[in-house]
Formats: sequence, structure tokens, C-alpha cells
Amino acid sequence: MFDVLDMGASGLVAQRTRMDVISANIANINTTRNSKGELSPYRRKFVTLSSGQQADPARAGVHIDGIKEDQSEFLKKYDPGNPDADPTTGYVLQPNIDMSIEYVNALEASRAYEANVTMMETTKSMINSSLRLIA
Amino acid sequence: MFIENLLNQGSGPALSELLKFTSQRHKLLAENIVNVDTPGYKQKDLSLEKFQQLMQDRIEQRNNSAPGTVGFDDIQGKIENPTSGILFHDGNNRSMETLMSDQAKNALMHNMVIELLRKQFASMEMALKERVS
Repeated sequence: MFDVLDMGASGLVAQRTRMDVISANIANINTTRNSKGELSPYRRKFVTLSSGQQADPARAGVHIDGIKEDQSEFLKKYDPGNPDADPTTGYVLQPNIDMSIEYVNALEASRAYEANVTMMETTKSMINSSLRLIA
Repeated sequence: MFIENLLNQGSGPALSELLKFTSQRHKLLAENIVNVDTPGYKQKDLSLEKFQQLMQDRIEQRNNSAPGTVGFDDIQGKIENPTSGILFHDGNNRSMETLMSDQAKNALMHNMVIELLRKQFASMEMALKERVS
């Protein structure tokens, strides 16, 4: 029964990491330059989940398989006055992030997190009642 | 011998078997909840109906034979992959509502079984002490 708690923790970690990535996406929704200051819009990132725990995939649970970049095209915004705009067309390349998609994903992650917490609470109550057999 | 007979009578063995079943099922349901967003994950479950059918048959068999000859140790739920519900595009057939309600029901059953066992042990203790505690 105690390993169910480990399993729940693996779920919590996975959903929290997912939430971290979503917040990074939202925070960078207008970022057109990379950390070195070069012109390179931020690419949307997403996590891929895979079953089995990180340390030991044979154990039931879930883990982050990887954080991948969305290779879809960048959005374009017409803004000729912007120093980052293409001098011939006047378009600024924007990150390929859709706020509504990020929002829906964030909601899903937070609900899944809640479900995991509820599951762990239930596990704890079951363990407690089992311990009452001895007492 | 006396103690063994005492422990193997009545509903005790059946209850402990049910306890094993509920813990096992809780583990599977927890795994399903944890993997609710994992692409390609297939839901796992133990069928309560099938387990109860097995138990019922065994209890009848036990009632018709000498005490202590028929046990429940070999009764086990079999892990199934239920195909009910919607299969999503990511290959996962999750249903959060079913999972949460199954989990709650399973936990309640677990706690109920524990309570019944406690009562049984308490009455056994009372009989051993020969006084009402």
C-alpha cells in the first residue's frame, strides 16, 4: 500500500513539471529573441508523459519522457516599426504559442494534480484504517 | 490447533481475502489516475463482480464440507483492460469520473472490511477474556 504513495508522488511531479512548462510558454508569449539576444522567437515547449517511474520504469507510475519543442510555424505580426521586423516585409515573427491551448492544458494539469492528491488522501485513509486493526 | 480453528471459522478468512482484493484494486486504480494523461496507456482494473462470484461459490462449497478443509487463499482477481468508455485520440481510454468514484467505493469497502474484522477480533478477545470489555 505504501508504494501507492510513491506512485501518487510520481504523478504529482509529472503534472507540476507540465505546469512549469506551460507557465514558461505563457511567460514567453511575446519573446522574439533568445537568451543571447539573437533574433530567434521562442518555440512552444511541451512535455511528453510515459508510464513507469523515472528511477525504475518497471514500477507503476508516470514520468516525464522529455520536454520537446513544437516545430510548427511561427506566427507573424505586421509591425514595420519594430526593430525585430523583417526589413522587406515588415512582419515580426512571434512564438508559436496559442494562449487558449496553453490555458486548457494548464487547467487539465491542475485537475489531474488534484485527482492525484485525492487519490493519495484516500490511500492514507486506507492505511490508517488498516493500522487500526492492530491498535 | 485450537487457535487455528478459531481464526479460520466464520467470515474471517473471507474478509481478509476481500481486504487483499481491495488493496490490489486500489493500486490499479491509483495507477490509472496517475497515468490519466499518458498517451497510449490502457486502463487496468479488477472485476469486483467476478471476484464476488468466485467468493460466493467458494463460501457455498465451504459450508458443505468439513471445517478447515476449504480455504480462500487461491482466490484472486484477474487484471483486466476494460474497453468501456471513450478511446481518446492519444490511445488512452480514461474516464476521470468513473476512476474517482470507483476509487472512493473501493476505499469505503476497504474501511468497512477492516471495521468488520475489528469487531470480530474484539468479540474473540472478549470470549478469551471471559468478560465483557
